[in-house]
Amino acid sequence: MMGLKDVLPDVMTEFPEMGRADIRDFKKGIDGAFKDFVREYGELIEGFFYPLKIFLSWFERLLVATPWPLMIIIFAVLVWLGARSWVIVVGTILASLLIGYLGMWEDMMKTLALISVSTFVCIAVGIPIGILMSKSDRMQSIIVPILDFMQTIPAFVYLIPVMMLLGIGKAPGLIAVCIYAMPPVIRLTDLGIRLVDKDVLEAADAFGASPSQKMFRVQLPLALPNLFAGVNQTIMMALAMVVVASLIGAQGLGSNVLKAVNNQYLTLGIMNGSAIVAIAIVFDRVSQKFGKRLQKHSETVHG
Amino acid sequence: MKRLLATSAVLAATLSASAAFAECGDIQMAEFNWASGELLANVDKFILEAGYGCNVELIVGGTTAIFAGMNEKGQPQIAGEQWVNALRDLLDPAMEEGRLHAVNKAPILGLGEGWWIPEYTAKAHPELKTALDFIEHPELFPDSEDPSKGAFIGCPAGWGCQHVNNSLFRAFDMEAKGWKLIDPGSAAGLDGSIAKANERQENWLGYYWSPTSIIGKYNMQSVPFGVEFAGSENWDSCIVVEDCPDPKPTSWVKSEVFTIVTDDFMKNGGEINDYLAARVYPGDVMGSMLVYMADEQAAGEDAAIEFLTKYEDVWTTWVSEEVAAKVKGAL
Repeated sequence: MMGLKDVLPDVMTEFPEMGRADIRDFKKGIDGAFKDFVREYGELIEGFFYPLKIFLSWFERLLVATPWPLMIIIFAVLVWLGARSWVIVVGTILASLLIGYLGMWEDMMKTLALISVSTFVCIAVGIPIGILMSKSDRMQSIIVPILDFMQTIPAFVYLIPVMMLLGIGKAPGLIAVCIYAMPPVIRLTDLGIRLVDKDVLEAADAFGASPSQKMFRVQLPLALPNLFAGVNQTIMMALAMVVVASLIGAQGLGSNVLKAVNNQYLTLGIMNGSAIVAIAIVFDRVSQKFGKRLQKHSETVHG
Repeated sequence: MKRLLATSAVLAATLSASAAFAECGDIQMAEFNWASGELLANVDKFILEAGYGCNVELIVGGTTAIFAGMNEKGQPQIAGEQWVNALRDLLDPAMEEGRLHAVNKAPILGLGEGWWIPEYTAKAHPELKTALDFIEHPELFPDSEDPSKGAFIGCPAGWGCQHVNNSLFRAFDMEAKGWKLIDPGSAAGLDGSIAKANERQENWLGYYWSPTSIIGKYNMQSVPFGVEFAGSENWDSCIVVEDCPDPKPTSWVKSEVFTIVTDDFMKNGGEINDYLAARVYPGDVMGSMLVYMADEQAAGEDAAIEFLTKYEDVWTTWVSEEVAAKVKGAL
């Protein structure tokens, strides 16, 4: 019996590869160059992220050290300010009580610290990039592929360089989270600004608004609902990354999930996984409601 | 027409494959997710397939996951490099009840777990000889997140050795001496922290085991504990247990690695079990293979071929001449 392989010439059935030795040299060459880079600039780069690391450590210690009743009151107030919904406030309080009762309080604080600081960093870096992108089509065409890359490349790939540069712990964990979680806020800032009605911009021009007035008084406020959708997505994606971040030593609920996976601890996995889900739901509902309120507000003003 | 051709080609391949492997059959073998485990599994796979006509499927996993699979479901059937120290509570009953059997109680010679430092740290501080000396100097190993503390890199959460390092950390009273026990999160985290320290010539003190590529590659030095092994009573009922109240200082227990098989395989595996019993890697051979794997970034499969080509004098003593000839033919 003849197969297709027997009929075709060799070059069609065997892919003309680069050759094992060449591929190995190619890989070793890049690795060597990266190692030289680490030796040369590692300290500098670590120094650059040092303030962030200190801030994150401090914030985590603060959250862990704050007495739990005070912490729950702070949660409730923040949720009320954001969502103005009793249902969500009560849900948040119950969820935190249950998580604490099941012995995950400290881990939840560590995860919250990582997520809040990551989100803050993503917003602080992402929104200016988004604004830049909305101003120039060329900028957009450069940045969009980078964002695609950040969102789709498997996290394990960038864990290696991040770890070689920053070691293990919270700071490299935060960088890993941000690489994955930052794109939505950039994309939706850009989108939000681009979707602002041309007539409104014309009106602003007619009133003699300067470009910066136009951006900060007209475009950004009108883009806020979209921008908040981006923030919401960023938070959700950051939460999805906590397990991956724990692979390089970021402690919290994620490292318990990892422990559960390593040992087939079904209950431990479900408990910590559910705690992550609970945090996600609270963050999601609060940021959505907040986004909607912003929209209503703008409608009443302009409508 | 094309489809018909393709289908019949697949059919023919399947038929001929099943005929050739009839005598040995399908074997599920664990491929542990570290370098020596990968090498061992892939060498076994090659020899069993080429020499004994088996059809070997490798199941990738870690110590506890593979053990649970074998103990509870009888799958995989063979674990080549099962580190038993941390699993003894589970493994002993399983072997007594006859669910699992150790066919080889030392497949790799000269191995061990313990605490390690980089070569340059040892050279820079020749006066510090044992773990007892090092733990008096947390300032040499500053933690990056809290430089006032010394960082001791322990075992990733969920590994068998995690409790051991936690207990030793408390037994040696390291917290009071200014140390922090760092959880590196995963094998990649642990390796990454060693690699980063070595590339940047930073001091590093933590847990690892040998023979491994990273120990060979960076020439990490094993740190003697400076205390005697304080008895298996202390070790088994306290050091390896989570949150044991009163751990006593001790050196690390002598490491044991078994090749274990399921009961079913013990009964029906026949000559494969004889092969597994005879298969012993000298420590230096394993060490140099692991450095090769790290330097060449070779996966288990490539490393197995390198081993079979380079160390013929080692593996040919494991099998009969007839099998050896078949394996050589397949190389």
